[in-house]
Amino acid sequence: MAAVAPARRRKRRSIPFGRILLLGFFLIFVLWPLYWMFNTSIKPSDDYLTVPPVWFPSAPTLVHYKAALFTYRGLDGLINSLIISLSATVLSALLGTLMAYSLARYNTGGQHLSFWVLSQRFLPPIGIVLPVFLIYRQVGLYDTHVGLIIAYTVFTLPVSVWMMFAYFRGMPKSMEEAALVDGCTRWEAFWRVAVPLAAPGIVAAAVFAFIACWTEFFFALILTSRTAFTLPTVFRAFIGFQGAQYGEAAALAIVSLVPSIALGVLAQRHLVRGLTLGAVRG
Amino acid sequence: MAEVKITGLHKRYGTFHAVRGIDLDIRDGEFTVLVGPSGCGKSTLLRTIAGLEEISEGTIEIGGEVVNDFRPRDRDVAMVFQDYALYPHMTVAKNIGFGLKARKMPKAEVETRVGEAARMLGITPLLGRFPRQLSGGQRQRVAIGRAIVRNPRIFLFDEPLSNLDAQLRDEMRGEIKRLHQDIATTMIYVTHDQIEAMTLADRIVLMRDGVIEQQGTPLDLFERPASTFVAGFLGSPRMNFLAGTLALSGSVAAIRLSDLLLPVAPGRNLDGATDGQAVLLGLRPEHMTRARGEKPAEGMFRQEATIDLLQPTGSRSYATFRLSGAPVMAELQAHDVSRPGESLPIDINMSRASIFDALSERAL
Amino acid sequence: MQTTTITRMTAAGAPPKLSRFARWADRNFKWLLVAPAVLLILALSIYPLLFSLVVSFINYDFQVPGHAFVGLKNFSRVIFDPVARWSLFLTAWLSAVSVAIEFVLGLLVALTMVRSFPGRGVIMSILIVPLFISPVIVGQAWTLLLQRPFGPTNYILTQLLGQEVTIGWMTESPWLYFSLIIADVWQWTPFMFVILLAGLTAIPPNLYEAAELDGVSAWQAFWAITVPHLGPMIMLALTFRLLDAIRMFDTIFIMTGGGPGTQTYTASYYLYTVGFTQFHLSQATAGSWLFLIFTAFVVTLLVRRLLKTEPV
Repeated sequence: MAAVAPARRRKRRSIPFGRILLLGFFLIFVLWPLYWMFNTSIKPSDDYLTVPPVWFPSAPTLVHYKAALFTYRGLDGLINSLIISLSATVLSALLGTLMAYSLARYNTGGQHLSFWVLSQRFLPPIGIVLPVFLIYRQVGLYDTHVGLIIAYTVFTLPVSVWMMFAYFRGMPKSMEEAALVDGCTRWEAFWRVAVPLAAPGIVAAAVFAFIACWTEFFFALILTSRTAFTLPTVFRAFIGFQGAQYGEAAALAIVSLVPSIALGVLAQRHLVRGLTLGAVRG
Repeated sequence: MAEVKITGLHKRYGTFHAVRGIDLDIRDGEFTVLVGPSGCGKSTLLRTIAGLEEISEGTIEIGGEVVNDFRPRDRDVAMVFQDYALYPHMTVAKNIGFGLKARKMPKAEVETRVGEAARMLGITPLLGRFPRQLSGGQRQRVAIGRAIVRNPRIFLFDEPLSNLDAQLRDEMRGEIKRLHQDIATTMIYVTHDQIEAMTLADRIVLMRDGVIEQQGTPLDLFERPASTFVAGFLGSPRMNFLAGTLALSGSVAAIRLSDLLLPVAPGRNLDGATDGQAVLLGLRPEHMTRARGEKPAEGMFRQEATIDLLQPTGSRSYATFRLSGAPVMAELQAHDVSRPGESLPIDINMSRASIFDALSERAL
Repeated sequence: MQTTTITRMTAAGAPPKLSRFARWADRNFKWLLVAPAVLLILALSIYPLLFSLVVSFINYDFQVPGHAFVGLKNFSRVIFDPVARWSLFLTAWLSAVSVAIEFVLGLLVALTMVRSFPGRGVIMSILIVPLFISPVIVGQAWTLLLQRPFGPTNYILTQLLGQEVTIGWMTESPWLYFSLIIADVWQWTPFMFVILLAGLTAIPPNLYEAAELDGVSAWQAFWAITVPHLGPMIMLALTFRLLDAIRMFDTIFIMTGGGPGTQTYTASYYLYTVGFTQFHLSQATAGSWLFLIFTAFVVTLLVRRLLKTEPV
């Protein structure tokens, strides 16, 4: 036994060569487009079409960032994206928490209501966005911040509800019951006991709602135009690359992906729950 | 301070019938223990009294008032939960004062009361801590503190000791008993542990499958169990049950095991029993002793036994032997037997024996 | 320990009586909590759906005046449009291929990451990055890599293969499908990887130790232990991914614009063009209803089953 044990332990520690190779390739696969984009964003326009390509610019420049933010209104898009995403995130986390609590603790509407909410997550946006476009045109919400905030709230609600539903389900309910016996109404037990205890879950749900809003393109493309346009829609300007705005496109992309990646990596612990709408605890 | 009266109580969860017709009167100041195996409906019953479960049928009265439609907050009861349910985001002081704050009591009075409760429970140094920084015993005291600051009409306990280790459990059990002696408020206590039930209760309510199997003082239930279920549930080691038939001739009665005839103690009421009736003889391990002296005393039945299995606990020795072919465990003095295989005379105290009808399993 | 006698305090009694509104609110608490979310979903999801159902039966074409009832004409137009059928076919085909590749690749990477090793945390953080990037940017990034003459891909391939490579990755069939798939695979393999890794780490390691002691080979252990335990997770990952994949729009919009011609029209892209570049709104809503029914069918089939076998 004593002779066998060290050998087995060593076997467990080392990773076979094939695995290192696979992981290495995959890492390069993931990082390469990101690197090239970054490289492009700081590359002078003269370096675009050289053979061989310029792997790293000898004279990095920020002109593309300046052009992307100001000439192509990237900054306006950034500000709009911030306003809209933050507002929708707060609304979605708030309403989602309320609903999730009711579903988790009072089994409201049985399985039907929760399934109905879940099914909203899987509706193809194209089916919704056409009529919403027509309605928005009629009621004056087209190309407004409020309009997109409402749309994004609804669009992220299923995820918020289901993440929080799973969170509340995993929380013992005796503390809320103690609060009820201690003299609280249901609302007080929810607000003063359940919500503070669920705070980490609410933050995680909010992070995922924010990322979803921040990266959304389709609704913004159709429901906004010159006023409430968000950052992803600015990329329309670069399609086809008339005049070869490679650097501007890359620079805008880099600006846009920093916040969502930072938040996402910070909330990594909750990633599995976020991706599976709470179905898997992770 | 209040009495509780429960009439015709039913609780159904969909098709599952958890509580099926409970009538129960709990006197003011009484310590009542609801005990039974898991799934017997005891916790559900407690929670309906707290108002945490709606009832399907029947009435609950607290202090002479029907409270069926009262919210938990309006019932003026306090509850100590199995996991204590302390609010993890509040300090001990905030935990204890939470119920008072919900009553919009002035801050100064809340502080005085919390301080007083903490002093009585000996947890004053803990007031600034959070629940996660407390030991199991300290948590229980905080949970009790949360109740006593309000002086509620009833204390409800839902298996408060089951998360503690054995030694602490004994200690905390003592504290709860002392609490009741000191303040004499009505207390209703749920447990599955028969020792807790026996030691704490003024009255035990033993439940099974959603109905009350038997209720009474601990000694009532222990000495005069109404059924084999009650007899088997209370007492450790468990009561021995031996299948036999009743032999009646005139005023003399005996129980016939396969090759033994055990006389029933004279004066025992056997109304309604018939000769040849199949019965179960219930013998508690502590009612069998090593025989001493030439002749067995009055009401004793002496039998030579060969010990199969010996389990010494230090203070006592549990000895298993065969009585008319069936295994029987006796609780003997530590030095009565020294090893398995030994033969010795055993005196069986027939005046303490229980007799049950074999079919209905009810006591005769 | 408890040394002092506990004396009874004055009774605090029950809390103040509730106002009529508070009593009503407490009684209907669970409905009040769901009300805002439900109303919002009704207003912005269900009402538009019903509205679009109306629109799909009338003429709502910006190029044809009036709102006359036209029966099933809008539906038949879509059904008999060869581009519509092609786009549905392409949607199914692209999703199936992408999801299959993502699954295999995700599982392989997850298997390499089950056991902890130095640097695992950092690698984990890098691998999940694509999940937090807008598909628009993913499309943009791959465009930068693939588009001629700017992208370095052809140059790298030329160096590796030793012969001149001049592929129009975004313009020539079949390469443009390859480009769309690789962008999707890049973004969503981490999704599979993360979920499958969660499933793999949940398998008790003593099962493998027991198998090792029994002399079972790693391959046999994979089939006898890993696959059955991972079953529900695989089901979940495939369902979620597939339901998202069939909406594919953003990368197409950025990378190919549906072209050349209609070669890269997916269902969503087709409906978008019909509605928002040709302004046949009625025809587009009719088409989106057909697509919705198709999706609803898939959702009910897959998600209902998922709810039944809820993992973990």
